[in-house]
Amino acid sequence: MKSRVDIPADWLAEFEAASRRPLEQRMKYAFIRTYKPVLDDADYRAFDTMEQYRQWCEKNLPSWLGYGRV
Amino acid sequence: MAAFEYRQAQEVRDAFARRGVRYLFIGKSGAILLGFPDTTQDADLYVEKNVENARALIAALLDLGFALSEDQNRDLERGKDFVQLKNGPFDLDLIFARDRIERFEDAWRRRLNVEGFPVCHPDDIIASKISANRTKDRESLPRLQAFREYWLNKNEGI
Repeated sequence: MKSRVDIPADWLAEFEAASRRPLEQRMKYAFIRTYKPVLDDADYRAFDTMEQYRQWCEKNLPSWLGYGRV
Repeated sequence: MAAFEYRQAQEVRDAFARRGVRYLFIGKSGAILLGFPDTTQDADLYVEKNVENARALIAALLDLGFALSEDQNRDLERGKDFVQLKNGPFDLDLIFARDRIERFEDAWRRRLNVEGFPVCHPDDIIASKISANRTKDRESLPRLQAFREYWLNKNEGI
């Protein structure tokens, strides 16, 4: 299949390297944990619609967390 | 709370399979299962939205050690679009209506199996991120789209 996106060489090298790692190791490197203000301060939240969730994020979360829409 | 681990992903996979929950790993956690080398904090599960599946989901979550109240069970059964759980052994985001994926069935038909983990196709993961259009999605999209090309070339025919 012909690629429609040029893959930068450094990314390609990272994709190749990742493909050689077992899944358990990939996950160990991938999942990280840092405290996210507000978002991590309740143990349960539920929203009727995704739009309500997005609006809640925009209204309540610090912008630097990146949950606001562009 | 520690980071989500492979062992916990296996526990989710096994508990959901035992209870017959229809779900897919989506978002960056799905991409990571497919081989995408990046980081994330969230395990995102796209769950089929119907009462029968919600009941199976509740049973599986209780099996896993999540502390769900009666009200929270009712939320899941009634069919919220998005539920964030931080009341168990690890954090989970449960998504019942995904941006840009019209029906769960469509994503289910295109799903991939990675060591028993049901995962959304990269096209669905990308479409969903484009539609969500958050700053963090915009930042990760070029690399994710490049990974999609790499993955398609490597798995031609899937």
